[in-house]
Amino acid sequence: MATRKQRAPVQYVQLDGLVVLKLIKHCQEEGAGGTDLVQGVLLGLVVDNRLEITNCFPFPRHSEDQEDFNEVQYQMEMMRNLRHVNIDHLHVGWYQSTYFGTFINRPLIDSQYNYQDSIEESVVLIYDPLKTTQGFLSVKAYRLTPAMMKFHSENDFTTENITKHGMTFDKMFEEIPVVTKNSHLVNSLLCNLEEKDKEADKFNFLDLATSSMLQKNLRQLMECVDATTMDINKYLNCQRQIMRQQQAKQQYLQKRQQDNAMRAQRGEPPLPEEDLNKLFKPLQSPPRLDCLLYSGQIDNYCQQISSFSTQSLGKLFMAESLQNDGQSN
Amino acid sequence: MSRFFKAGSDSESETESSEDDEIIQQRPSAAPVQSRTFQFSDDEDDSRRIVRSAKDKRFDEMTNIIQQMKNHKQIKDMANVLNDFEALIKAADKAKKVIQEEGVPRFFIRCLFDLEEYANECWEDKEWRKSISKNNSKSFTSLRQKLKKYIREKYEKEVNDYKENPDHGDDDKRDETPAPQDEESEDEVDTPVKAPVKPKLPAPPVIKKQLPKSMDDDDDDDDDIDWDSSDDSVESDIDDEQFDTGKLTAEYFLKKSDSGTSKKEKKRKEPKQMKLEETDEEGDWEEVKGGAPLIMERPKMFGKDQEINVDAVLKKLYEITSARGKKGTDRNEQIELLKELREIAETNNLGLGIDVKLYFNIIGAIFDYNPNTLTSMRNDVWESCLSYLQTLLNILIDHPEVNVGEHIKEDDENLTEAPLYVRGCFLTLVEKMDEEFTKMLQSCDAHSTEYVERLQDERQVCDILEKTLRYLEIKGTTLEISRIYLKRIEHLYYKFDTSCVYTGDNEPKKEGTSEQTMDKLCKFLYTSETPDRLRTRAILCHIYHHALHNRWFQARDLMLMSHLQDNIGHSDIPTQLLYNRTLVQLGLCAFRQGNIRDAHNALVDIQSSNRAKELLAQGLLPNRQNERTPEQEKIEKRRLFPYHMHINLELLECVYLVSAMLLEIPFMAAHEMDVRRRMISKNFHHVMKMSERQTLIGPPESMREHVVAASKSMKTGDWKACKNFIINDKMNAKVWDLFFQPDKVRDMITVKIQEESLRTYLFTYSNVYDTLSLHTLAEMFELDMSVVHRIISKMIINEELMASLAEPTQTVIMHRTEPSRLQSLALQLSDKFLTLVENNERILEVKQGIYPFQNKRDRNDRQPGTSAAFQHHTQGVVEGEGYGPPTSKSVTNNQHWNRRNNKNYSRESRNY
Repeated sequence: MATRKQRAPVQYVQLDGLVVLKLIKHCQEEGAGGTDLVQGVLLGLVVDNRLEITNCFPFPRHSEDQEDFNEVQYQMEMMRNLRHVNIDHLHVGWYQSTYFGTFINRPLIDSQYNYQDSIEESVVLIYDPLKTTQGFLSVKAYRLTPAMMKFHSENDFTTENITKHGMTFDKMFEEIPVVTKNSHLVNSLLCNLEEKDKEADKFNFLDLATSSMLQKNLRQLMECVDATTMDINKYLNCQRQIMRQQQAKQQYLQKRQQDNAMRAQRGEPPLPEEDLNKLFKPLQSPPRLDCLLYSGQIDNYCQQISSFSTQSLGKLFMAESLQNDGQSN
Repeated sequence: MSRFFKAGSDSESETESSEDDEIIQQRPSAAPVQSRTFQFSDDEDDSRRIVRSAKDKRFDEMTNIIQQMKNHKQIKDMANVLNDFEALIKAADKAKKVIQEEGVPRFFIRCLFDLEEYANECWEDKEWRKSISKNNSKSFTSLRQKLKKYIREKYEKEVNDYKENPDHGDDDKRDETPAPQDEESEDEVDTPVKAPVKPKLPAPPVIKKQLPKSMDDDDDDDDDIDWDSSDDSVESDIDDEQFDTGKLTAEYFLKKSDSGTSKKEKKRKEPKQMKLEETDEEGDWEEVKGGAPLIMERPKMFGKDQEINVDAVLKKLYEITSARGKKGTDRNEQIELLKELREIAETNNLGLGIDVKLYFNIIGAIFDYNPNTLTSMRNDVWESCLSYLQTLLNILIDHPEVNVGEHIKEDDENLTEAPLYVRGCFLTLVEKMDEEFTKMLQSCDAHSTEYVERLQDERQVCDILEKTLRYLEIKGTTLEISRIYLKRIEHLYYKFDTSCVYTGDNEPKKEGTSEQTMDKLCKFLYTSETPDRLRTRAILCHIYHHALHNRWFQARDLMLMSHLQDNIGHSDIPTQLLYNRTLVQLGLCAFRQGNIRDAHNALVDIQSSNRAKELLAQGLLPNRQNERTPEQEKIEKRRLFPYHMHINLELLECVYLVSAMLLEIPFMAAHEMDVRRRMISKNFHHVMKMSERQTLIGPPESMREHVVAASKSMKTGDWKACKNFIINDKMNAKVWDLFFQPDKVRDMITVKIQEESLRTYLFTYSNVYDTLSLHTLAEMFELDMSVVHRIISKMIINEELMASLAEPTQTVIMHRTEPSRLQSLALQLSDKFLTLVENNERILEVKQGIYPFQNKRDRNDRQPGTSAAFQHHTQGVVEGEGYGPPTSKSVTNNQHWNRRNNKNYSRESRNY
């Protein structure tokens, strides 16, 4: 373990074509066209500063009434079987599909924390099936930053702790570049396929279907903003209460002082000190992790929207100039 | 026992001889009465002869117990009385044999009888029962029960016999007492009525023989009984005296000073007292004794030979009035007495002063007649009250030399000489009368002829008010004048006077209309030094009157200038109710004048709570959350306005709904695309929703259904259908004909419906048109071209309609400027971000130590333009739990209304 820790962390993720295909297949078959989430286990190996992901298998879907189903058991079984056929069987992370980039949430953080806690180099692959259908393969690898790991391990999400760790929404995850690697054989096959491809299909990515995508993104963004607003309101109320309590406390203390002064004048012993914390129980400030997550999510949406619009704008400009060209011709 | 020896020696010797005979007599008869006599003699014997053994002892025992009981009874120590009684029963049981042989001893029966009476007496004295300790009362009840049972089971007959013939016992006692018991002599002395000694005395020797069983007991009992009775009589005597002296105080002496008459009176009163005691529910006999005698004495006021002069009459008056308010005082009687006294005074020509004073007292007594504030007067009493008031008023007016007033002290009264001074406030009487009048109206069914009959008295009441007003204008202080003015106003403001509604400006103003009267009275109140409450009420009445007579601008300006909206919440509840009434009337006036928005604003708060009835004090609504206590209900009932002052609630609701429809339908059409819909009138939406929920919607029946149906057709711009729903025979009968000039109102509504339908039509269907001809529109809505032009121009200016007018072709050209879905989403998002940023800022402000929560509202106001505008239009109604203090919401509403109106006001004043 010690040696592994000293080693430079994983710099990039090398993804096998097989994994990508399996991922897409899993999503297509079980994810109901991308709206349902699918998850699976990544297998691979750390080599130097890269994490090679060479295989994966999905978590089976099981309905709620199959409570006796043991996931861990299944995983162990699966990996043992894979080892028998001489495939990489080291657990290096997990993958999850997403719908319009909605993935930054509490369960993801928790499970990723667990992964990273037990297997340091493990990552989570986020696959966006919708984008893929539009011609952009979107697979991203994330892991929690060391700061986030430390923060999460304390399991204390109060404001104080957040400030102590200097935690912000953009410091929670770090994205690791992903490289897809195929065998030469596959590459040559691909080249072959490309040549056979029809001309029209090649320019699928130039599609200008802007609004529906943006609309959906906006809607989700709005939901997120609403949630954040609610969270902030909660926090605000709490602050207000704390303030009120503090006032009451101060009044109480002043009164106490006056009373004691009076008593001293009369030669009576001062009133016994009472535990202020008992009188004024410190209020629990709401955990702020959700807010952080929402912010992260909003950030994510914004990035998506901006990248999407940049691309769309680029396409538009291109289309415009093409049109002009066509007209001038 | 030793006493007996001393005293008894003589008697014994005498008696012994006769004993034998008696025994003989007694045996055959065996009647209880007789047996007693023997017993008595036994006692005497016992006392002397210690030898007498068990039987004598038992009787002694019993007598002792009875004596003790007597003492305890005197101090009403029920626990001990109970103990004594139980001991007595035991003793009687022991002496059973003797009793069987001798018959029941008389003294024992008497004791039982007395005890029973005593118990009953105490039982009726509820107050006493309440006051005693728990322990005591417990033992008292058990005593009573045991006693009853005991008597019923064993000695019913004997006790009844005794009841019929109680004197025997007394006699017996006397016989016994003088001889043997010196100590008891005090008691015996008190019993004066007893008959001479009977021959039974000689019995003692016999007893010896018979004794073994009954005699002992009997003797003892008898003795006891004697004491009891005597004691009781003493007690009652003392009581009487005490009460007389203690309670009557001055009056009591007064009577005496009246010499002969008073004594007679007293005697006459006594039997009546007794009756009263019995009849009085409370059973509070002690008090009755005090209060009753004074009033009850009716037959003659003065002795025949007595000189009737002012002083005598005054004394008498004082005597009568001092019984006022006491329990058991017969109020009717008192009134009669006073009347009689007045007649006597009149026949004896005692002068105006006395007359006036007596009138005051009579009227006061009449008002006192009902002890309960809730119940109203009886009709005849009321009528007499009115007539008395009028007479008094006439006297006062005719004789300006008579001065009356509260400020005149009793001592300063001058009832005989020229500048007469009489204590008493006529204005108070008038006010009281007015109150009573309202109460009477409240108490009778509003739909009965009785109500109408009562209402006819309104004329008289007003008459009295007016006369009083004229009288006070000469004589009264400013405050008094203000008060009577206000009373007059309050009887004037809600009455519709056709003569003062302008039909046109050129018509000459008539004189003496209620408008001018109101104006005069109110202006006096505004300018003079009057308490705020009077002034507030005057203003409200004035506004109401203006509004009632379609003087919308005066009414509104007065409302705005008075700034009543700010602080009406601090005034008393009747004034708040008046404010609500005024506001409603203002709304109705605005509606009649075609100011739909104003009408809506004025009515919205009353209507939105669904408690219009309660807010206008026209009836009680069942309170869902918390049941009213009976007191609360009483109080609220007393606040209700009499029926003839009611504002028709259906009319009110209809006006509100129609104005809401005229505002809301175009508004809804214009803002169909908005994400967050805002409502102008929640109540209207509620009504609409309710009708949508129905599975089957038939042709409209009720007023509400009519409005709903009209709204639905207006939504599609079908103005004709809309008009027909709003204005038809049914609605005319229900609503519109209730207005003063229904045709004018109907015309106004029709025009409004046409205009608003046009607007709705444009909002709803503008997106299907590229251009629209003004001619077509004018034809469709049967409006003038100019009107259509005006409406469309206004909409364009207000940016409600994205279009432009093409003059040459007379068309409206639509511009497509509807935002796309994405755009509207982006707008929403920006809205949301704004709130987010704001919230965030607030957190920051807290961190910086500024305490910023106060200015939160301001910020909200500046945010969404529409909502702010909407808020400005809400206005305040005073509402609260059961007319209680207004809720904070209504206060803020008040502020809005105020703010808006200030704006309006300044704007309009510029226009003028």
